Amino acid sequence: MTTPPTPRPHRIALAAKGLRVQRGQGSSRFTLDVAALDLRAGEVLVILGPNGAGKSTLLRALAGLESSADPHSIQGGSGPVTLVFQRPAAFAGSAQHNVRVALLGKGLTEADRSDRIARALTRFDIAHLADQEARTLSGGEMRRLALARAFVLEPEVLLLDEPFDDLDAEGQRQLSLDLQRAITETDVAVAMVTHDLRRALLLADRIAVLMRGKLVQQGPREEVLQRPNSREIARTVGMTNLAEGRVVRREEEIYWVEISDGLEVPTRAKLEIGRDAWIGIRPEHLKIDIGRGDGRPIGKAEVESLVSDGLATVVTLRTRDRMFSTHLLSGRGLARRLRSGDAVSLAVRPEHVHARLID
Amino acid sequence: MNEAEARLVVEITFRTLWVCGAALVTALAIGIPIGIALGGRRFAGRSLVVSTVNAGMGAPPVVVGLGCSILFSRSGLLGGLGLIYSQTGMIIAQTLIAVPLVIGITLAAVGSLDEEWDLQVRTLGIRRIFRLWLLVRQIRMGLLAAVIAALGGILSEVGASSMVGGNLLGKTRVLTTAIMMETNMGNFERAGGLALILIGLTFLIAGLLTAVQQSGRTR
Repeated sequence: MTTPPTPRPHRIALAAKGLRVQRGQGSSRFTLDVAALDLRAGEVLVILGPNGAGKSTLLRALAGLESSADPHSIQGGSGPVTLVFQRPAAFAGSAQHNVRVALLGKGLTEADRSDRIARALTRFDIAHLADQEARTLSGGEMRRLALARAFVLEPEVLLLDEPFDDLDAEGQRQLSLDLQRAITETDVAVAMVTHDLRRALLLADRIAVLMRGKLVQQGPREEVLQRPNSREIARTVGMTNLAEGRVVRREEEIYWVEISDGLEVPTRAKLEIGRDAWIGIRPEHLKIDIGRGDGRPIGKAEVESLVSDGLATVVTLRTRDRMFSTHLLSGRGLARRLRSGDAVSLAVRPEHVHARLID
Repeated sequence: MNEAEARLVVEITFRTLWVCGAALVTALAIGIPIGIALGGRRFAGRSLVVSTVNAGMGAPPVVVGLGCSILFSRSGLLGGLGLIYSQTGMIIAQTLIAVPLVIGITLAAVGSLDEEWDLQVRTLGIRRIFRLWLLVRQIRMGLLAAVIAALGGILSEVGASSMVGGNLLGKTRVLTTAIMMETNMGNFERAGGLALILIGLTFLIAGLLTAVQQSGRTR
């Protein structure tokens, strides 16, 4: 029997170490303080955080545009490092001219330039807009043009500030597919900031969470989504069902946490009986028990509301003194049958309950 | 109008174009770089400089003329340069009138760009000289407005030209000073004819520049 080959780790394209940026003075002073952050070739690192956490400042610092940052705190990036801003600038002239601008003074032959420009425009499906004045493009087209302008440089590191802002769901899906393809083909290292988890999940290989200027957690996507270090991070990464309780018993590898309203929740996290703990369950993992053995029963709740966007239905559930939420596929089964006020039983798999002891 | 008079009018018209043109080019060469530098940088005392420029935009030409006359007169600080009653002196005076207009309008054009504009260009790794070219291209409509305003200011002013130039026949007489002289002498018909030429020139040049500006907007 042969062992499967170990996946080759991605090459580090840009590394930030001890990166510090200071802005403002007095009470409005803001400090970005990043101990360590790596961007790896062919990978997308999504930097999540609330507004004002310092996400855009971090991107600018990585791009070398923050004069107060020590340039020695950023290493690598021997190739071009380019940043696509949240509101990309349209330079006076055609879309093609806007892409050509990026190659000014780069010492290419006209044939090379034209070839790279044509490929960049085609890559983001805007070749038909080549001769159109850039300032007349729509928001979505301008975003694609900005990406074409960045990719024409064949960057080693690409930094994206809210690349899906102002796009509708279909626009986001299309652009994420084109971006994904471009990243795979060029092996570029990407860091993308967003405050919107759904947009982050379109591309993220790894996730870093930034709060008040500090990176509070970073790691592979699933690790951060399933095992957030704190309740604040849990909320940021969409783990909206949070509760505090006490560890009351253990059955083999499973600990049971009694949360304040009488519900008992099983978890495979390592806990200690008698200690206080917080638990977190992602909405997609909390189940309404219809006797299919879909997890362990944890208690009763009442349906508070159902909101559907056509694809998913968010069901808000009320227990004695708190709210939970779960997601169902719209238009099918339970989502069609459930009504506000219905009494339901809740269930969850122990491996889907994240828990941490409270110090 | 006899042939000699016609030749004189042509000569005055061309002198006007030369003096104003030279002053305009000089004012643009000085004003645009200063306007770009002021528009793109934040430094201590910037608001004072900007206030001075704004005040300069409304400075009466006659006051500029007085200042230049004092400086250029034989007993003045620059008396030794022989600038009084010369075309060079007139060009300097008109340049001083136009420079604040050019700086002010250029500054406003740079200020109207998105705050991140310069960062967005820098992140593409574009060299400084090309960044400057891009900036000029981006604000070219504003620069054209600066040209039109400066040209209007110097083509129509009479105070500085007559004080510094002295309206010397065959040397420093231009359309505005000639109109003033003919009016003072009661030759209203001749003054009217010269005024028509001046208005025609102003309309022609401003019209051409406006046409360029408008075509630029649609491109």
